[in-house]
Amino acid sequence: VQCIILHPHPPRLLAKRLRFHIVGAFAVSLGVAAFLKFAVAKPGKKAYADFYRNYDSMKDFEKMKKAGIFQSAK
Amino acid sequence: MAYPFQLGFQDATSPIMEELLHFHDHTLMIVFLISSLVLYIISLMLTTKLTHTSTMDAQEVETIWTILPAIILILIALPSLRILYMMDEINSPSLTVKTMGHQWYWSYEYTDYEDLSFDSYMIPTQELKPGELRLLEVDNRVVLPMEVTVRMLISSEDVLHSWAVPSLGLKTDAIPGRLNQTTLMGTRPGLYYGQCSEICGSNHSFMPIVLELVPLSYFEKWSVSML
Repeated sequence: VQCIILHPHPPRLLAKRLRFHIVGAFAVSLGVAAFLKFAVAKPGKKAYADFYRNYDSMKDFEKMKKAGIFQSAK
Repeated sequence: MAYPFQLGFQDATSPIMEELLHFHDHTLMIVFLISSLVLYIISLMLTTKLTHTSTMDAQEVETIWTILPAIILILIALPSLRILYMMDEINSPSLTVKTMGHQWYWSYEYTDYEDLSFDSYMIPTQELKPGELRLLEVDNRVVLPMEVTVRMLISSEDVLHSWAVPSLGLKTDAIPGRLNQTTLMGTRPGLYYGQCSEICGSNHSFMPIVLELVPLSYFEKWSVSML
């Protein structure tokens, strides 16, 4: 009589957990990066572009001169 | 100038400093990406009783964690090198100003046309007028024309100093016996403050730098008045 011993398959619990969470970890970190790009970096670039688009340096200078901050322009 | 509770850089006053600001945002984003990934993985490891003690080989994960950092490094290096080369572009400065570091003050020489030179000492705290900035004001400011490329030649008469103006993205060492060059281009008028950035003795913290950027006509009038 041949006896076939059936071994139980190991449940691979850690592997399942790792696969799920590694995908999650990459998603979270890419989400953090995307958040920083769209909430910090892009608005920062836009702020400088908007500031300099219609910037009048002479008008700015006249305001500062009136405030009396310069040594060379009283 | 710096202000209380400041976290980031000062507002940029030159195109190079703007580029550096954006590059810093880009690199910080990568730093946050890696830090959040590592923190997540650490918290994963600390919140399970499952273990795996019989790893024999890990070819796939080792390939990934070699290639991915290499890609990240390239993503940092390329913008960095772009700005580095941008700083060294030939831009034909219209004016050259020399600055010499001393213990413990800066001296400036405008010798393109006439011989103008003066010393720039910090104003002691007891002599400040209301509204002036402690440890930052000087008696004679470095007046420069705005929206004009200026070459700064920096050296020292005694020990190492460093001529730094954060809002223009400038920091150049003043080394005795050596002439270092940097170029600056201020896009806005105003006062821009910096401090000596290389330890040079007891009054290292008390030799600030103040740039006064004004229109060219005012700069010309000022330089005539200083002769």
